[in-house]
Amino acid sequence: MIRYALVRGALLIAGLLVSSVLIFLTLRVFPGDVAQLIAGTQASPAEVDALRESLGLNRPLLTQYTDWIGGIFRGDLGTSQLSGASVGAELLLKAQVTVPLGIMALLIAVIIAVPFGILAALLRNRRGGTALSVGAQAMAAVPVVWAGMMLIVVFSVWLGWLPPQGFPRTGWSTPGKAIESLLLPALTIGIVEGAMLMRFVRSATLQAAGQDFVRTAAAKGLTRTRALIQHGIPAVGLSIITVLGLQVAGIIVGSVVIEQLFTLPGIGRMLVADVGTRDLIKVQSELLVLTGFVLIVGFVVDLLHRAIDPRQREAA
Amino acid sequence: MFRRTRRLALISALAATAVILSACSGTPDQAPSSAPSSPDPDATLHVGLVLEPTNLDIRHTSGAALEQILIDNIYEGLVSRTQDNEVEGRLASDYEVSDDGLTYTFTLNDGIVFHDGTPLTSADVVSSYETVRTDKTVQGNAEFAAVTSITAPDATTVKIVLSEPNQNFLFALTGPAGLVFKTGDKTDLKTAENGTGPFTLTRWNTGSSITFARNDDYWGEAAGVAQVEFQYIPDFTAGVNAALAHDVDVLTAVDPNLASQLEDDFTLTKGRTTDKATLAFNNKKAPLDDVRVREALRLAIDHEGLIEAVGAGTTLYGPIPELDPGYEDLSDVISYDPEKAKSLLAEAGQEDLELTLTIPSFYGTTVPKVLISDFKKVGVTLDVNSVEFPTWLEDVYTNHDYDLSFVLHVEPRDFGNFANPDYYFGYDNAKVQDLYAKALEEVDPDKSAELLAQAARIVSEDHAADWLYNGETITAVSPIVSGFPEDSINSRINLADVTVSAEK
Repeated sequence: MIRYALVRGALLIAGLLVSSVLIFLTLRVFPGDVAQLIAGTQASPAEVDALRESLGLNRPLLTQYTDWIGGIFRGDLGTSQLSGASVGAELLLKAQVTVPLGIMALLIAVIIAVPFGILAALLRNRRGGTALSVGAQAMAAVPVVWAGMMLIVVFSVWLGWLPPQGFPRTGWSTPGKAIESLLLPALTIGIVEGAMLMRFVRSATLQAAGQDFVRTAAAKGLTRTRALIQHGIPAVGLSIITVLGLQVAGIIVGSVVIEQLFTLPGIGRMLVADVGTRDLIKVQSELLVLTGFVLIVGFVVDLLHRAIDPRQREAA
Repeated sequence: MFRRTRRLALISALAATAVILSACSGTPDQAPSSAPSSPDPDATLHVGLVLEPTNLDIRHTSGAALEQILIDNIYEGLVSRTQDNEVEGRLASDYEVSDDGLTYTFTLNDGIVFHDGTPLTSADVVSSYETVRTDKTVQGNAEFAAVTSITAPDATTVKIVLSEPNQNFLFALTGPAGLVFKTGDKTDLKTAENGTGPFTLTRWNTGSSITFARNDDYWGEAAGVAQVEFQYIPDFTAGVNAALAHDVDVLTAVDPNLASQLEDDFTLTKGRTTDKATLAFNNKKAPLDDVRVREALRLAIDHEGLIEAVGAGTTLYGPIPELDPGYEDLSDVISYDPEKAKSLLAEAGQEDLELTLTIPSFYGTTVPKVLISDFKKVGVTLDVNSVEFPTWLEDVYTNHDYDLSFVLHVEPRDFGNFANPDYYFGYDNAKVQDLYAKALEEVDPDKSAELLAQAARIVSEDHAADWLYNGETITAVSPIVSGFPEDSINSRINLADVTVSAEK
């Protein structure tokens, strides 16, 4: 187990290094740079170049990369070339919106997916089950932006229950307002992610229903449904955790889009704004943190899975 | 990526237009008849703005978003501008220009202190201006090119000597280049300040708001409100909603198509600007190097119809707007005449012309849509290439790789771009360059304006570009607020004279 964790950990670090190179190089392909943006439309090429020099944009790419990655190893995510603010501090600040949003979205996804997924499996040959499956298929195909706009129309414009956009300026010192403003965005991501998860829960449940031990339990006198719930579902529960881990990535992507739609001051919105201003040190650190987060979640899920599931340990 | 911002304030590099009640302009306190009660000195003014500054370092960063809130409120220069775009003293109680236009002598006001308590002396002015003169990364460096010496004969006098007269020099001092900073100050200007103005910076909550507090130790007359909170609301609909919910007392840059929603609760003002909605033609690239093609394109545009679609603005048929010296009504140069446009294109052998318009995405789709349909009527196919602003800067501004481009040029007195063949317009006319140089050298402002007007007429007659409209900004002001400036507030909002009366 420890050996497995070490190997898996080494892979994680290698994955992060490769991502850092990819992120760094991809961003350098963008046209335009921060010096031009700072200088504006009245500056001469000489002035722009002086600015570029003072910002260190004229240094060789390798130097720029090692400077950045060296800082990361020391726990320093760098400073914004535009605002001079520490990227780490900015990320922590924006995380106060994005992390609660992600947790709420994940909870909503699970609340939708697990009961409905099992129900869809139990009712699989009846009309209700088919309707549930078709519904899930349709919701999973819906773009997050569209779902968000529909929810705004219903809950904000028609019913007037929830704010259509924004986050309270008072932040988490007014928790009620803060949660209220995150509810609709979280619901938007949660529904779309939940629909995808539901399809998985359904097929996992069906798979469990076909297992020998479920049939044996049924043969011992349990009803098929009870046999499935008591013995089948716990056996597939683990794979659902794995899928949940994968969905963290989906939720992060969803939050980038949703924070735009709802003008929430979170990490996603900051990222889009920073790309727009070519504040590359900030963008690359933000992307690396997000990538790292997804990779670490995968790592933890893998370890958990192995620790809990005896079959996997034996196979190793 | 989802920004719907139609206006661009981002672009201003230099100072902005005029206007505005300067602290010392002596504008009488004209309380509107609807003002309910007396001003509340403890009030907080909430102002809704569109574009947030990327940082607060006004020395190094271009952008109207900084000048809009920082100049005159936080930082001050020797001189400032009045509502009529006239230069007037600010830190300087008095200034004199020698007859040959080469020597400027400023006398400082008494008792000026920086926000950290240090008194300001002429040595601070000298060190600030020396930095502008010698450091290429500082805003305004180019305007200081002709400065040969900056000296302080005594603690309250500053003398600046130029190598040649420059009609724009004093005006340049009203922008970022003229601001005075403490000698050897260690303040991190990106996030903090140590100015001399009537307000101090309290807090910048990035992504949402900036708060100023009244400077009780201000050397001049203290500001009328205790606090100002600028709220940045990039989405126009959200801005209107915030105003309707009374989250803001003043909303700037109201979308013309949404303004009617605010009519009941707010006073709507239309402010003049020096924003020139510029349809640039790449003068060096075929077929736009042919004046007949450029004229045809201008004849094809229904300017009145376009302004109606945009919702605000006035027609402008030349490079100089009404608020700048050298303005002249040039509507006789061009008219809406698609038939003539077609025959000109035929004459130039360009009946089946296909052109690309490069436009930063935040300007939205209204202008491109109108242009596509207007050009289609004369047989010109227009492809629209909507790009991020940094891409526009790279492709169009730096590499001159474009056919047509649309940008709102907000800087005042930027006619010089048409006298600079290396600017992205690529317009090269020796006569214009000569007239512009003479206008700068001319010591008499009226004669200088006349030379500019001549040059501007040539530029328009050469159809070096088309000026789709001169921007107007709509501001919604709550009845409890008085003294809020009207004109050019996308480049400068002087808050010293603004008051808020106690809530009803």
